[in-house]
Amino acid sequence: MKLLTHNMLTSHVKGVTKGYPLLIKATEVKVNQLDFNPQFVSRMIPKLEWGALVQAAEDLGYRQDLPGELIADYEQNEEFLKKVHRVLLEVEVMEGCLKCPESGREFPITKGIPNMLLNEDDA
Amino acid sequence: MKSDLSTESRKSKEEKKVLRKQLKASHTLLKHEGVCTTPQPTKSLVIANGGLGNGVSREELTAVLQEMGEVEKLLMPPHKPYAFVTFRSEDGARKAHANLNGWKLQCGESSITLYLSYVDSVKCKEGASVPLPEGLALVEHFVSPEEEAQLLNVIDWSPTQGDVTAQKSLKHRRVKHYGFEFRYDINNVDKDKPLAAGLPDECVPILQRCVEQGHTNVLPDQLTVNQYESGQGIPPHVDTHSAFEDTILSLSLGAKTVMEFRHPDGRVAAVVLPERSLLVMKGESRYLWSHGITPRKVDMVPAEAPRADAPTEPGIQSNLTLSRRGTRTSFTFRKIRHEPCHCAFPSACDSQGAPSPSPGPSLPSCPADAARLEEEYVHRVYSTIASHFSDTRHTPWPRVCHFLSSLPSGSVLADVGCGNGKYLGVNADLVGCDRSTALVQICAARGYHAFVSDALSVPLRTASCDACISIAVIHHFSTAERRLAAVKELVRLLKPGGQALIYVWAFEQEYNKQKSKYLKQIFKEDHGEFSSTNLLSEKSQKSSGEKVSDLSCHLENSHKPSDMQGVSRVPDARLSVHTNRTAFTSQDLLVPWHLKGGKSTVPVFHRYYHVFQQGELEHLCAQVSGVKVKSSYHDQGNWCVVLHFSII
Repeated sequence: MKLLTHNMLTSHVKGVTKGYPLLIKATEVKVNQLDFNPQFVSRMIPKLEWGALVQAAEDLGYRQDLPGELIADYEQNEEFLKKVHRVLLEVEVMEGCLKCPESGREFPITKGIPNMLLNEDDA
Repeated sequence: MKSDLSTESRKSKEEKKVLRKQLKASHTLLKHEGVCTTPQPTKSLVIANGGLGNGVSREELTAVLQEMGEVEKLLMPPHKPYAFVTFRSEDGARKAHANLNGWKLQCGESSITLYLSYVDSVKCKEGASVPLPEGLALVEHFVSPEEEAQLLNVIDWSPTQGDVTAQKSLKHRRVKHYGFEFRYDINNVDKDKPLAAGLPDECVPILQRCVEQGHTNVLPDQLTVNQYESGQGIPPHVDTHSAFEDTILSLSLGAKTVMEFRHPDGRVAAVVLPERSLLVMKGESRYLWSHGITPRKVDMVPAEAPRADAPTEPGIQSNLTLSRRGTRTSFTFRKIRHEPCHCAFPSACDSQGAPSPSPGPSLPSCPADAARLEEEYVHRVYSTIASHFSDTRHTPWPRVCHFLSSLPSGSVLADVGCGNGKYLGVNADLVGCDRSTALVQICAARGYHAFVSDALSVPLRTASCDACISIAVIHHFSTAERRLAAVKELVRLLKPGGQALIYVWAFEQEYNKQKSKYLKQIFKEDHGEFSSTNLLSEKSQKSSGEKVSDLSCHLENSHKPSDMQGVSRVPDARLSVHTNRTAFTSQDLLVPWHLKGGKSTVPVFHRYYHVFQQGELEHLCAQVSGVKVKSSYHDQGNWCVVLHFSII
């Protein structure tokens, strides 16, 4: 699971009102080298929940020195975009789980794939 | 025919290009089949599209080949869309290559374009013939033509007879019962209510002959007469153990057919039943194997009538051809059983606790049933067939791609029910999810963003997506409520102003007088060769000037030659099993999937589908508040809508 995906995921357990962001409990994290595409990163940034991304990066130990608040004019800041590229796309949680912040329900991550299935009754 | 070469030189550039492409595709595909073509002339050619699997009969093909030179051998592998011909001389092969490439062969109502390439050697993997099921015997010429005529005359199909003999017109055949009525609703006979009409007198000498020849030792007391028109059939079934004794005798009259016997382990034996033959089912063949007749108009049969005294070559069926069906009437004689069955096959025995024969799933009557049905007939099947399924889903549908590429870059997009990630590669902004872990693993291996979740409960934030797609997903939900819930969940993900594209399989596979590719891709092989055969047939469609979009929707690998109707639903709520590549006969059905394997022992999996009727998808979406149907259309056998979501 890349942090881009994590940024979109939320808990969908029945009755939960504050299911975002999901807490990451990682037992295996890997970092892939991927081609840096500044345009792609730039246009993703406004779509992100910035705070959730920084928190996830922090939890995994890959925050680098990303600020808690999104900076202005990031489009021109290649160094910044590279850091975002790294946390957004290169850092990948391979094993572990995602935990619902409200209900505590855990969703396993196996071979990099989050399994967000619920039982029919807690859906 | 000689003019063909000159016709070719008159062809426009475009046509030539198409032809080149077709040839290239044929070559590639044939390589997939393990057939190497060679540019050097030899005596042998592979004839792409000229196969039994494409509805080309041995006779039709032989006729054109013989005009080219003396044919030494014509090999038509079963179900395949190609054939091999070996000429006596290289000259014949050269002539065929020069004159028949691009030749349109008229086969019945359709015309098939042939493409020929030289091959060094003819070798083909032919299906090893499956031995007859244990306990099955076929006695040819059991009745004389006079007796046949007499028996056929006995049956009065006029409705007034109905009350004494119990007569029903099932969707795909006419049925009449004598002695006792077999009730399809309970899969049994009412043993306390014999019918007024016993077995016709004309049957007596026939039955006595059965006893004399040792085919049975008790006289049957129940007769079921089935009449099948060409194109009709009977779903696979095992005769209810508790209803009838061991031996079942069945006379075929009027026309021949092919009956398929299926063992629970996946073995299939196709048995040709000639007219006037007697089929005797005992033991394992009666108790464990199911038997049925696929509804179709054409059967694949040995080209020459098999002679009992001729030594058969085991494993080789090099002389297959196609046989058009006529009207066949079967007389099935059975003996009512009055004690519980104690056969050696408890797994198939209703007397010994097994569920009554092949009940199959029914339409769900409550939400829990619906979830169970989908779990067994959708989720589990996809997880089993994932890798084979994925191999068949390589080409994105153009109109879906068009939708995706029309969105501004940087959009947040979700593919709910992404399968193997076919569209995740089309647009890098997409994140995918699917119910099947096995399919999501394929996405992940391809480097796409995907997670496992259910389309009824997608773990994405409300109003987080600029657009969503749901391609071939919602037809897997088994109740109208769940289909509605799936649309609502998709819409929940949309930002105001967001769009959703939904594709579902259409009940109407023929639209604007155009058959969908699903229907056109007839005569496919059952072990996964369809991806290549589809390409062939698709390429050949190009030449007929049709718009080529994609390797078709819903590439079910069918296993039956099929320009016929599907299997009907017997009069209860059970879901019918669809015959691949045929028109739909009901909206809720099970669609078989035949795993690739090349062996007949590979089991068949059934997926549940609800196929949508025209207008149904729009109606469904209109029930979701805030949603406007921006456009709707029929695309390759699917009903499709583009939804627009706005703040309520």
